[in-house]
Amino acid sequence: MILGLDFPPISHAIEWRDLFGTHGAFAINKVVLLMWLSVLVVAVFFFIASRRQQLVPTGVQNVAESAVDFVREGIIMQTIGKEGLFYTPFLLTVFSFVFVCNIWEIIPGAQMPVNARMALPMLMALLVWVIFNFVGVKNQGIRYLKNVCFPPGVPWPLYILVAPIEFVSTFLVRPLSLSVRLFANMLAGHLLLISFAVLSTALWNSTKVGAVLPGALLIGLTGFEILVSALQAYIFTILTAVYIGGAMHPEH
Amino acid sequence: MRTRAPLAGLLLALVLVFVGPAAANAQSSDQVKKEAKELAEKNGGKEADVNCIGDLIDGKRVDDCHKAPSPILPPTNELIWGAISFVAVFLLLWKFGWPGIKAGMNARTERIKSDLDQAEAARTEAEGVLTEYQAQVADAKGEAARIIEDARQTADAMKRDLQAQAEADIAAQRSKAASDIEAAKAQALADLRGEVATIAIGAAERVVERNLDPETNKALVESFIDQVGAGRN
Repeated sequence: MILGLDFPPISHAIEWRDLFGTHGAFAINKVVLLMWLSVLVVAVFFFIASRRQQLVPTGVQNVAESAVDFVREGIIMQTIGKEGLFYTPFLLTVFSFVFVCNIWEIIPGAQMPVNARMALPMLMALLVWVIFNFVGVKNQGIRYLKNVCFPPGVPWPLYILVAPIEFVSTFLVRPLSLSVRLFANMLAGHLLLISFAVLSTALWNSTKVGAVLPGALLIGLTGFEILVSALQAYIFTILTAVYIGGAMHPEH
Repeated sequence: MRTRAPLAGLLLALVLVFVGPAAANAQSSDQVKKEAKELAEKNGGKEADVNCIGDLIDGKRVDDCHKAPSPILPPTNELIWGAISFVAVFLLLWKFGWPGIKAGMNARTERIKSDLDQAEAARTEAEGVLTEYQAQVADAKGEAARIIEDARQTADAMKRDLQAQAEADIAAQRSKAASDIEAAKAQALADLRGEVATIAIGAAERVVERNLDPETNKALVESFIDQVGAGRN
């Protein structure tokens, strides 16, 4: 109880009971169910969009092609260039899957962003780490490590400082920052919505009028979280593309 | 709230443990835990709370028992399902969604490209036709001007010919008229001369009352007239 509010502990807002009598490593909880639903939504969406290809796109096809176009023109062409188009299916998957996993945050009944749990951001960040390092070694061979640690155009005494910083930032910090950025943003948004929902409920039960302001803010923040969901999906995807592009072309 | 019932069981279990001195000494710690848990479960304790009994018997604190799992570290089940989900969504999109969308978008790109090419070709063709048409119009204009010029020249030539013809006709008629006049004049003179001779003879006969033979008279008169005519000319 804080200031008369029964605010649930954080674990109650993000930890979910195991369902259907499942336990252990394959236990199914709300987050897992939402992961499945996200897979279903993304797969069915793109499946439907690809089924009836019309010359003038409408409906689902239009949205799907806009997403493809956005990933292709807005992300890949801007960061990697034409040779990055090979990664379109992967980056499209990352963008749409992260977005759908995020948007559960504001869907009534679900109201739990999958990425407010560390599992998925961490897995995807590790996958991205593996991919961009693989691309780096494939494109530059053993010189990849040298190109990363010793960027050209730096006076040589500075390499004593720069090389360890570059090494740590590329190989250690990147996966961490990539996953924590997504996770922390979604968790913060989730907690923010919970806070205002709890506040609105408490004030409605006590004073009614007092709930107007937090209620209005709750509605506004729900809209804001739609933006955050899309923005975080975009940021995760464009950073993935930037990492892959950087590994593909060493700095000149 | 939810910890109340198990805690009751827990207390009961602790009472059992400490109140039964003979049992406490004789039984091993594990057996005590087992019995305490069974009792707690019997009294409606939930699994997570019942497990606390063991920790408490081991000397841990209630806080350790109820410590919330870290909100940051991912649980194993979510990691496993997350990995399966991501691989599944990638494979589904890659195999079933992407080829169709890619083919559709490429087809549209090709279509637009070919339409633009066709439009460009049509424009070029139209420009060619226009140039040809303009050339034809220019030709036609030149031809018309040439025809008009020809007509004008022909008309001029005809005019000149007609004029010359008319002048020639006039000159011919004038000379013919002159010669006719000359002939008529000669004729008139001749006629007049004969008439005058006859009149003169008659007059002379009467005057001189001497009848010369007509031949001599005539000769005489004509010589007279000649003289007169020569004198008048």
